Amino acid sequence: MGAFSKKHWGVGGLAIFISLFLFVFLIVPVVKVIYVAFQDPQTGALTLVNFIDFFNTSLFQESFFNSLYVSIMSVVLATAISLPLAYFTTRFNFGGAVLIQTLGIIPLIMPPFVGAVAMLLLFGENGSVNLLLDEWFGFTIPFMKGLNGVILVESIHYFPFILINLSAALLNVDRSMEEAAQNLGASGARLFRRIVFPLAMPGYVAGASLVFLKVFDDLGTPLLLNINNMLAPQAYLRISSIGISDPMGYVISVILVAFSLFSLWVAFLALKGKDYSTVQKGGGGLMKRDLKPWEKIGCYAVIIFILMMVLSPHIGLALLSFGTVWSYSVLPDAFTVAHYGNMMRTADSYINNTLLYASLAAFIDIILGTAIAYIVWRTKLIGRKWLDFIAMGAVAIPGVVLGIGYLRTFVEFNVPYVDKPLASWWVIIVIALAVRRLPYALRACVAALQQVSIMLEEAAENLGATKARSARRILVPLMSGGILAGFVTSFATASVELSATIMLVSAESDAPLAYGIYEFMQSAAGRGPGAALGIIAVLIVGIATYISHRVIARVEKQRSAGGVVVAEKNNPLKELTP
Amino acid sequence: MTDSNPKAVGVSIKDVSLSFGQTDVLKGISLEIEAGEFFTFLGPSGSGKSTLLRAIAGFGPQPGGAILIGGDDVTRLAPWKRNVGMVFQSYALWPHMTVHKNVAFGLEERKIPAKDIQARVEAALNLVGLEEYANRRPSQLSGGQQQRVALARTIVVEPRVLLLDEPLSNLDANLRIQMRRDILDLQRKLKLTTIFVTHDQEEANTTSDRIAVLDQGIIQQVGSPIDLYDEPANRFVAGFLGTANLIDGRIEQGAFKADDGTLVPIPDNERKDGPATVMLRPQDLMIRGEGSVDKAGGAISGEIRHREFLGSLIRYAVKSGDHLFLVDDTHHAGHPVFTDGDKVSLCFDAAQVRILNG
Repeated sequence: MGAFSKKHWGVGGLAIFISLFLFVFLIVPVVKVIYVAFQDPQTGALTLVNFIDFFNTSLFQESFFNSLYVSIMSVVLATAISLPLAYFTTRFNFGGAVLIQTLGIIPLIMPPFVGAVAMLLLFGENGSVNLLLDEWFGFTIPFMKGLNGVILVESIHYFPFILINLSAALLNVDRSMEEAAQNLGASGARLFRRIVFPLAMPGYVAGASLVFLKVFDDLGTPLLLNINNMLAPQAYLRISSIGISDPMGYVISVILVAFSLFSLWVAFLALKGKDYSTVQKGGGGLMKRDLKPWEKIGCYAVIIFILMMVLSPHIGLALLSFGTVWSYSVLPDAFTVAHYGNMMRTADSYINNTLLYASLAAFIDIILGTAIAYIVWRTKLIGRKWLDFIAMGAVAIPGVVLGIGYLRTFVEFNVPYVDKPLASWWVIIVIALAVRRLPYALRACVAALQQVSIMLEEAAENLGATKARSARRILVPLMSGGILAGFVTSFATASVELSATIMLVSAESDAPLAYGIYEFMQSAAGRGPGAALGIIAVLIVGIATYISHRVIARVEKQRSAGGVVVAEKNNPLKELTP
Repeated sequence: MTDSNPKAVGVSIKDVSLSFGQTDVLKGISLEIEAGEFFTFLGPSGSGKSTLLRAIAGFGPQPGGAILIGGDDVTRLAPWKRNVGMVFQSYALWPHMTVHKNVAFGLEERKIPAKDIQARVEAALNLVGLEEYANRRPSQLSGGQQQRVALARTIVVEPRVLLLDEPLSNLDANLRIQMRRDILDLQRKLKLTTIFVTHDQEEANTTSDRIAVLDQGIIQQVGSPIDLYDEPANRFVAGFLGTANLIDGRIEQGAFKADDGTLVPIPDNERKDGPATVMLRPQDLMIRGEGSVDKAGGAISGEIRHREFLGSLIRYAVKSGDHLFLVDDTHHAGHPVFTDGDKVSLCFDAAQVRILNG
């Protein structure tokens, strides 16, 4: 009985600590933001007047519709990019599959705002592509004009969400689904429309609503392209120029949260009760067929065109970082490494801060992620599902909103010893990053935990280990690959996070890399060093992504080879019965 | 099949070969399946039975040879033009459609008028006893019900041939027995030419008019279940249908001598000299105390190694020379039971001994 209650206290205490953390750093700031949005700035009474003001101001109306327009068009363009790629890989026996998988990763290793300025130089009114078009054909295309620029940059960056989900959905359609339809007389376009497409639909909708959410909440890209008449930039500008008492920033935050929740709800509805993953033993994937030579040429042409588009921010950034002067010309006038030297002299604190913040945040995330995963899946604690739910809820909170919430909530809380408000202490940036990345780390930890058969722990308990000791000696070591992958992913994405940090950086010396890039890019002279810093960011994220893929691949290999964590599914008694 | 369905057609498979890359899966298969027959492809996994069935439906790589349905060569016809109904092992019910929509699909593809579709879907669901479930989704049905929907979806289009690809393998044991009876009843009622694929000899024996036993892409033997059991053509068929005691040796001057020296009497009409294998079923061997001789046939002496009590019978493993014979002894209360180490004689009637070709 003694051991039993002790065990309960251990897990219970852990749960209380995590709940407290989430309450203070997620729930309170968000509730505060929502509360302030409904508060009269003078009297403090609850009112809708701020919302009425918002929708009566033409700038805000315009911003609202611009944000909606940009998000929807980004989904459309991202779909146009993803659809052929997903179709090629799942439908044809085709050597370009590796190329397409790579395409699904490349954009994600560069935060969209980093490439935005480079995209201006390539696709802008006087950018390389339009200069060439004008010279050869006598016309230009306004790729980057106004909102077009945001749409182009965002869809090039976020299309992998649709590509990955759509491809997975198509791969999860068992070929017998298609064969059954053919057997009953369906073929060609009708077969695709009636069977294949509906079965892949939930995956597509889930991917598309993620893209919508990400674009709607994004602050960095419009800021760097100098597009201010959208919601997230307006929220940032109101708070940073007028101050944290201006209610409009809060109203915008509420709208951002509402739309985020809405798109998550759509994704949830799309997937709910529609586990169309129908792959059976020996089946899997749609029927693939060989390509005719001219079809193959067509496929490669489309893929190479998309690859060029997707790589253009990277190419542009590299050119910018090595170029001397690049203006009104197809390529920079000359090449130099001076920007890197310049950047190293002035920006080393950005890099050091980033490495510190991102690794601390990722560390907090895997500790919380592992603990929450354990509590939810291995204990019977009352309310454990809520812990998971609230931690995942951070997905719906845009960085700008979290930043505003922290400013408003913690400005009056003075940290002892440091003698600063918590809102302007560097640690708050780490916490913001940790909260923002927690959902992703948590999913990685849950996945790692679910792959460990509970029987392995039961075997340890059967041999005398307590719950806590079997968790420490059996479960956590077996989860370590997944946890490590979660750490690296959190680290990589936290190191280029801009929207929350831009609100919370109070001193230049505390600023991380993403903020540094933003600062550099503000002046024409800073573009070169800014691009060099951007290349550093891409390298950090790229290396981290590579490591995490290696770790995951190794864990999977180990699993399939050694059967470390595979639960025994076949009933051995079955062999004995006739 | 005396009163055959006038619409039922036969299937001719003529020298069909097929390979996946370097692997030959079907090696020159020829078969004649008669109109209205319940025909089974029986074989272990990898024998090519499912591949052959899929080739009849038009799935998989283009096979060599020819497949004729009702006299029409369909070898190069697209699956959607063949009008053969296939029930998939996984059922392949479309999860985004209701039961009704699933069953109506094939009729819609055939451009049947809507009012006829309604009536025919109802009739088909009625036939499988699922008329109450028309508006459910497949995920809301049990495995057995899903199986019935899959059947209804296939037969509603009145296919020329019904193909069943291991349709019972995803059901639990009791349901499997029930379902195989229902499928047979349905087949008898509709008098539909049916080809059934299974690796389970019991399923094959209980349902089929005729069985083709396949192994390694080759047809080993075709015949009725009893013929295959009683007169297996080779070691594979003997072992795959039931349990067989096989003895390798030579026939010399009308007598069989095993490689370890044991003499086995054989039926009088089997006279060909040379190497041979003989088969004895476990129930053909009678276990007696040491020294007993059966006048009608032979006796082999040996020693009990194992005993398994299976209720209605006791299965003994008896070691004799290099061989371990399995012997089934019907069990009755009070009947003598041998134990491990007992010396016994195995008596048999020479007429039960079968000489295999290979």
